[in-house]
Amino acid sequence: MRMPLDLLLPSWPDPHLDLGEYDPEADLVALNMGPQHPSTHGVLRVKLYLDGETVVKAVPYVGYLHRGVEKLCEKLTYVQITPIVDKNDYVSPMMNEWAVNAAFEALLGVEPPPRAQYMRTIFAEIQRIASHLISIGTWGLDMGGAIGGGATVFLYCLRERELILDLFEEVTGCRFHYNTHTVGGMRHDLPAGWDKRAKAVLDRISARTWEYERFLLDNPICRQRAEGIAVVDPTLAMELGVSGPILRASGVDYDMRRDAPYGAYGDIDIQVPVRTEGDALARALVRIAEMRESARIASTLLDGVPEGPIGALKPVKLHGAVKLKDGEEGYAAIESPRGELGTYVVAARERRGAASPYRLKIRSPSYHAISLLPWLCPGHTLSDVVVIIGSIDPIMGEVDR
Amino acid sequence: MNGAPPVAASGLLFNSAPLHALVLGLVVVSLCMGVAAWSIWYERKFAARMQNRPGPTEVGPWGLLQPIADGLKMLQKEDIVPAAVDRPLFELAPLLVVVASLGTLAVIPWGDGLVIADLHIGVLFALALSSLMLLPVWMAGWASNNKYALLGGMRAIAQGVSYEIPLLLAATVPIVLAGSFRLGDIVEAQAGLRWFALWPPGPGAVAFVLFFMASLAEANRIPFDIPEAESELVAGVTVEYTGMKFGMFYLAEYLHTLIASAIAATLFLGGWDMGPLGAGVHWMVLKTLVLFAVIFWIRWSWLRLRADQLMALSWRWLVPLGLVLVMASATWVVLA
Amino acid sequence: MPPRHEPLPADVAAWACEFLGVDELPPEGPFVPRDRLVEFATALKNDHDFLFFVYCAATHYLAEGEPGSDGALPDRTVVAYRVRRLPDRRRGRPTQTFPFRVVVPTGESTPSLAGVWVGADWQEREQLDLVGTVFQGHPDPRRVMMPDDWPGHPLRRDYAIDTAHFPWR
Repeated sequence: MRMPLDLLLPSWPDPHLDLGEYDPEADLVALNMGPQHPSTHGVLRVKLYLDGETVVKAVPYVGYLHRGVEKLCEKLTYVQITPIVDKNDYVSPMMNEWAVNAAFEALLGVEPPPRAQYMRTIFAEIQRIASHLISIGTWGLDMGGAIGGGATVFLYCLRERELILDLFEEVTGCRFHYNTHTVGGMRHDLPAGWDKRAKAVLDRISARTWEYERFLLDNPICRQRAEGIAVVDPTLAMELGVSGPILRASGVDYDMRRDAPYGAYGDIDIQVPVRTEGDALARALVRIAEMRESARIASTLLDGVPEGPIGALKPVKLHGAVKLKDGEEGYAAIESPRGELGTYVVAARERRGAASPYRLKIRSPSYHAISLLPWLCPGHTLSDVVVIIGSIDPIMGEVDR
Repeated sequence: MNGAPPVAASGLLFNSAPLHALVLGLVVVSLCMGVAAWSIWYERKFAARMQNRPGPTEVGPWGLLQPIADGLKMLQKEDIVPAAVDRPLFELAPLLVVVASLGTLAVIPWGDGLVIADLHIGVLFALALSSLMLLPVWMAGWASNNKYALLGGMRAIAQGVSYEIPLLLAATVPIVLAGSFRLGDIVEAQAGLRWFALWPPGPGAVAFVLFFMASLAEANRIPFDIPEAESELVAGVTVEYTGMKFGMFYLAEYLHTLIASAIAATLFLGGWDMGPLGAGVHWMVLKTLVLFAVIFWIRWSWLRLRADQLMALSWRWLVPLGLVLVMASATWVVLA
Repeated sequence: MPPRHEPLPADVAAWACEFLGVDELPPEGPFVPRDRLVEFATALKNDHDFLFFVYCAATHYLAEGEPGSDGALPDRTVVAYRVRRLPDRRRGRPTQTFPFRVVVPTGESTPSLAGVWVGADWQEREQLDLVGTVFQGHPDPRRVMMPDDWPGHPLRRDYAIDTAHFPWR
């Protein structure tokens, strides 16, 4: 059930709506949602102009979590950057590490050995499951409240995620900010028997994905809240650079893992879940299907992890030894749980072979997804806004960097 | 009240009716406050078991002293009153909200004659007071001078007005069937396990579900807790309240839920009567607590409806359904 | 050894060579004159299906003579754009990206591409905020990351990172 409103055009509403042109009879209320608000996934602030409870205009303000990561990276060596970018997308740190190191390796002309490629791919897929679990769980919190049915969904999701964190802890010693990728490979090798434990965990999780699917599809309240909410136009999404599950839920069959293979993805067939509805429910269902597919990919790859070294460069000499040529610039991207996560690097020109980048830009999918909000919110009610924010799943650490 | 003393034959604990009401009132109010406080512990344990966690464990055995610790914590909190609030209303609202919920207790019969004030319009009194709770909630929303609180208050009023009607219509079914507004008479009409939720088949059972849903909405429980809606409106009307004032809203919410369960048990589940198993205050308490637990179960497994969906549910489905039920039960009474 | 740069798509590279009047494009993407940027971008989007806006990143370079600089160019910003076209399975074409760059001397502005790809709006705002590039015709030129009253643009090379800003935040 959608609110009938003239603003809600079938095409794109105007995100730069001049409020002076809006109905002068209406009593508009400006409501600051955030930066301290339980459902804005961190410190997002959305200034909502409400006519009753219907949103007329939504203006997102970001930057409350701006830590100057890109400036900091200009002062660090290429090897030191990995633990810093870990904290960007703090729900899937493995992806951040891979994205920067992929860019450095491409510019340096180093290819990680096959074992490292397989490890990266397996870690990324397991991380994707963990990230989507958080996404579904917090979306439940948004719809059901922290004191209510939503919290139950959230804790069930955390139950599964806990298994994944245990797996990563076994490899890297850290539960969250792993610092396990490095230029040219990995820092930590797989412990003995890890593959069997990982497979057991993946089987357990994929056997439980039906619980989330049932929560979404068999729950009439969830369907009522999410169906037909915030339909994303695929052309608009592409122009905004929105990728990942949001784009795939709008009917665009595009996944970098299959269409521009990197890592070990070239060795395996990937089924990309696509839905055409484009609404909030479709995005969640795409995420659940991706969880299942990721579990399958990781299980399959675990069977064929090749033996060999895990790093292309000598670990002792790594620090400070990774130097790019003057003024070279390049870009490498991976498919993170939220879409295309890329890194644009310009190598230093100051000294020959300086060990830190001249300019580093992280192309974060969440920043692009947040820019969808002014298009999605108008015409929906205040209650829908939290559902919309939850369904596009922004990570503010990645938006603000 | 098996083997009741001779004086209780008249329904009085003491020979003086005012003294009876005073003593019983004190006992019932303090017991209900205690039950409401410990129901918070119970709900936390209940929710925890649903969610694979242990719940409160630290304070006392099985965390049983948690409500006392929570109360002490609330009392110690600084009472912050924002500068721009409408101070008299802001201070008054938490008091009124508790008074309105406690007032309902006056007419609930816990056993044969075990009622503080046996009004002959008991049902109306109880429903009127429980809808009076909207007033302090709106007062709090208005006086807080906060947009979130104001939206919460507006939602509370809209929701209260919408769900008042199905609530009253559902309560009309037992009234019509029993032919009396007195809660005691309604219980007696259900003697011998002829509960209105079971007999006559059809209207009674549906009216019970309808009453239960509407009282969930009245008590602001999930899936109808849009005035509080902590994921949208942060905490709705209570957003500016701190310390014990917030605690009173919290307590009133639980009291209201408890009382709604008690009224539903009286109207539809035969009150203190349990047919061949005898009658007594323990049956009434048991039925109330079972309904109370069902409310928790619903709360921790459902999501929240949107405000407009909530109104649509009431006006499109529940109100017409209530009217049909009243007509059906009236037809039953005329034919039987 | 993997290729250092993703190769430019051949058909677009040929068109871009003709458009820019050059023989060969650098693998990091051609430099497009500022006055023809919007025309170039519109053709990329409309004629070559580059619908997906990947990023826009500005890099500040100091002029010759200042410490830590090189080259004979003035104090300038290089804005690098990258756009992507999605795979076309009917023609068997994989997904391809096309980078292009524009040089903006400090004190001058470059046309905004927000009219071509709406996604350029937020990307250019970020560069405006952090690097201080001025985009002409931008629909919403507010700061994104930094507070509105923040002095300077942090990602510029001449930004004094050791200066304490009052109030410290």
